[in-house]
Amino acid sequence: MRVIVIGAGEVGYNIADILSKEGSDVVVIDKDEERLKAVSENLDVQTITGSGSSPQILEEARLDQAEMIVAVTDSDETNMIACLLASVQSKGALKIARIRNPDLERNPTIFDKNHLNIDLCINPERESVNNVMNLIEYPGASEIIDFAGGRIKLAAFHVNSSCLVVGKKLHEIKEMCKEHDFLIASIIRKEEPIVPSGKATIQENDYIFVLTESENVSEILKFFGKDVTPVQRVFIIGGGHTALLLSEILEKKGIFVKIIEKRQDKCKILASKLDKSVILHGDGTSQDLLKEENIQDADYLIAVTDDEEANILSALLAKQLGAKKSISLVNKVDYANLVPNIGIDGVMNPRHATIGKILHFIRKGKVISATPLLDEKAEAVEFIALETSDITNKPLKNIKFPKGTIIGAIIRNDKVTIPGGDSVILPDDRVILVTLRSAIPKVEKILTVKLDYFG
Amino acid sequence: MKAKNILYILGSFLFFLGLALLLPLAWSIYYGEGDFMALGSSMAITTVCGGLLYLFFKPEGDITLNHKEGFLIVATVWFLAGVFGALPYFIHGVFPTFTDAFFESVSGFTTTGATVITNIESIPHGILFWRSLTQWLGGMGIIVLSIAIFPLLGVGGMQLYKAELPSPVKDKLTPRVTETARTLWIVYFVISTVEFIMLLFGGMDVFNALCHTFSTMATGGFSTSDAGIAHFRSAYIDGVITLFMLIAGINFTLHYALIMGNFKSFLKNSELRFYLVIALISVIIVTLNLRLNIFEDMGKCLRYASFQVVSILTTTGFTTDNFDKWPALSKIILLLLMFVGGSAGSTGGSIKCLRILLILKHSYMELYRLVHPHAVTAVKLGKKIVYPETMASIWGFFVLYLAVTVVASILMTLLGLDMMTAFSSVVATIGNVGPGFGAVNAASTYSEIPNLGKWILSFCMLAGRLEIYTVIILLIPEFWKK
Repeated sequence: MRVIVIGAGEVGYNIADILSKEGSDVVVIDKDEERLKAVSENLDVQTITGSGSSPQILEEARLDQAEMIVAVTDSDETNMIACLLASVQSKGALKIARIRNPDLERNPTIFDKNHLNIDLCINPERESVNNVMNLIEYPGASEIIDFAGGRIKLAAFHVNSSCLVVGKKLHEIKEMCKEHDFLIASIIRKEEPIVPSGKATIQENDYIFVLTESENVSEILKFFGKDVTPVQRVFIIGGGHTALLLSEILEKKGIFVKIIEKRQDKCKILASKLDKSVILHGDGTSQDLLKEENIQDADYLIAVTDDEEANILSALLAKQLGAKKSISLVNKVDYANLVPNIGIDGVMNPRHATIGKILHFIRKGKVISATPLLDEKAEAVEFIALETSDITNKPLKNIKFPKGTIIGAIIRNDKVTIPGGDSVILPDDRVILVTLRSAIPKVEKILTVKLDYFG
Repeated sequence: MKAKNILYILGSFLFFLGLALLLPLAWSIYYGEGDFMALGSSMAITTVCGGLLYLFFKPEGDITLNHKEGFLIVATVWFLAGVFGALPYFIHGVFPTFTDAFFESVSGFTTTGATVITNIESIPHGILFWRSLTQWLGGMGIIVLSIAIFPLLGVGGMQLYKAELPSPVKDKLTPRVTETARTLWIVYFVISTVEFIMLLFGGMDVFNALCHTFSTMATGGFSTSDAGIAHFRSAYIDGVITLFMLIAGINFTLHYALIMGNFKSFLKNSELRFYLVIALISVIIVTLNLRLNIFEDMGKCLRYASFQVVSILTTTGFTTDNFDKWPALSKIILLLLMFVGGSAGSTGGSIKCLRILLILKHSYMELYRLVHPHAVTAVKLGKKIVYPETMASIWGFFVLYLAVTVVASILMTLLGLDMMTAFSSVVATIGNVGPGFGAVNAASTYSEIPNLGKWILSFCMLAGRLEIYTVIILLIPEFWKK
């Protein structure tokens, strides 16, 4: 498959990396010679210097033979033109574009078959805002991942000392909470995954993944000793697109929002677009300002400026000043792993969210979605069980799963079951499976599904 | 740097090199001239050494290589090719010393064509075939070939490809390095086949046609007789070889474009035009110069002049006449052509037309800037801007190339050679040309050069073939720092 990736930023680079390792012929186009150098030195792809919206450049990249175009430059216009040119030259190609401008989003007709004909528009800000909203809706969790269209959620959180289950074995925990079905899918202790067998214990500071139906999430979090008081006050540092999107949704949910933005002009735009939120002109890293605005009463502080380092600092400062929780927008993967260790409660990563979304869209095989968990040491996979695979038509306890692999949920005719040892997977069931990265080749074999995503 | 991975890759190359000895082995059986044992044992040694390294260091997962490992592997592979490629000569006793065998072998792989064999006709056919084959393998690159045949290297292949490919601009033809390598080799193979058939039409036997095809397409220069191409006394063969030397000196990416029917990009290529103009002007000058001084017959002048000019420009080094006896004007032109070489991405050696062209353009731009101090300028190639970093790398190459030439020439004179021999032997080896002037002229060989001199020249050949950087980088301490 020939894929043209336009834009060699973080998103373009990662998509090119994954696709080329999966066997696609990838051509990367970017204006910036330096960025392309990094691409061509590390990846087995072709690079072309030039504008992605230039017909000549796209011709050089053999657009007519491309089966997929991924336009992820910083400019909406370039992305749109590239997809438009692709529609003209290569009729069958799948087109994916990153579109940031919310005004464009409000007019979805321009992207439909009769106009630009873009198969998937991604707004990184919206994607990451959705992730953050999940966290705000379920306050106790550090990560919430949707499965089965949002009906099943995988909640991840650290276990505190106050938690009832500390020191208990998993099967004992199961006994303690009988009213709700849930499954501890993965335990990460000191950055190493631990196999969640019945005999395993939960210890303080473990990072655990719990799979359950969406209506039970709050109850389960409560059971694990998490504070689930609904969020009432949110501080947002930075007044860009993300802040606007976030405040709009928060306002609708009746949550009180304060936005701190450095630039006067941006403040004015925000003030004109938002009705209830308080817009403050000032520096988000200023202690005085934060104190003056009663940061200690805030349930959440979300730092979403363009400056990642400043975001991290604001989040730390707010925690110190008494904010209950803080989330920082971080694009650099290198930082993303660091942040939870220094006391920030969550990370918002628009680029990572974009990559995930693109990959989910690309994979239309039997694997419905696959999500890397915690630094990609573990993966959650949603797939449709095949008649031919080894796992169907027999009780789970009779199946030899590789170490660390767990069937998290079975969805049959819209009914969700959290399976036990006697459960049976039938063909065409949707199955959610959590596994360690090292076990993936064996899992692939059992499923007889190629999990391309793991490439 | 991971020694394990490096040894594993070296092992697989050696194994592959050993397999290549099957072809000369077949010829030695056909002719039965007693070189079977030498070739057979060389093959055994090479494949066993390679196979052991391969099996012993076989890694579990995929290999990724960084730049440094890429440079180290490529330089080592070429050195080892020289060492193991010398085994047939050494074991058969073609030369009294290993130095001579190594020189001959390196000269083959680097497509230099400088020989230390004084009586070629006495050498068995199997070994002669190996001698020509090494050139053909080295022409497009042993590593590029391995990448094309065994895609075992994955991403790591890119580092090796970049370190071996003779071109300042490392554009890939296709998204995948394996595909690119394969395409280049297919184009190389196809053009070689055409030449082979045309040489057969000229009355050559299969053996000679193959050997000369190998030499021509790789711009090598080894022949199967002492007299070189003159041995065949055929204007047709001279013509065919001239044509294919010229073709081999063109960027193979362009040949690919031409084969794919993209005439426009072929004809519009500024490097190609530059290359052809240099060839044309040199041919005209030398033809006239010969007409006025040596031969009466204009046709004969043109035939000798065009053959020799193309042979030297493309760094092949075939000869039909001893040009050391030509007038000074012709000689100086040939000597200067040794610094030009073929196009980037061709099998030719030396500095290459693209670099010369860009250096000229850059120099002109500097003059232009003096006239218009506020002008915004850029060096352009066709419609594309050549970035200052690329330009800097080209200047760096140019200076290093001359520096190596200077140092090696001085060392050669220290060994007691006369000025012309010392200088031209270095120029002819670093440029992978072959014959030079003075004691190393077309009619004689490199056998009279002292042993130490042969090692210096072998180094020059390797440095020239691997475009200086890949070899010189191993000599700077910074490379080995952790």
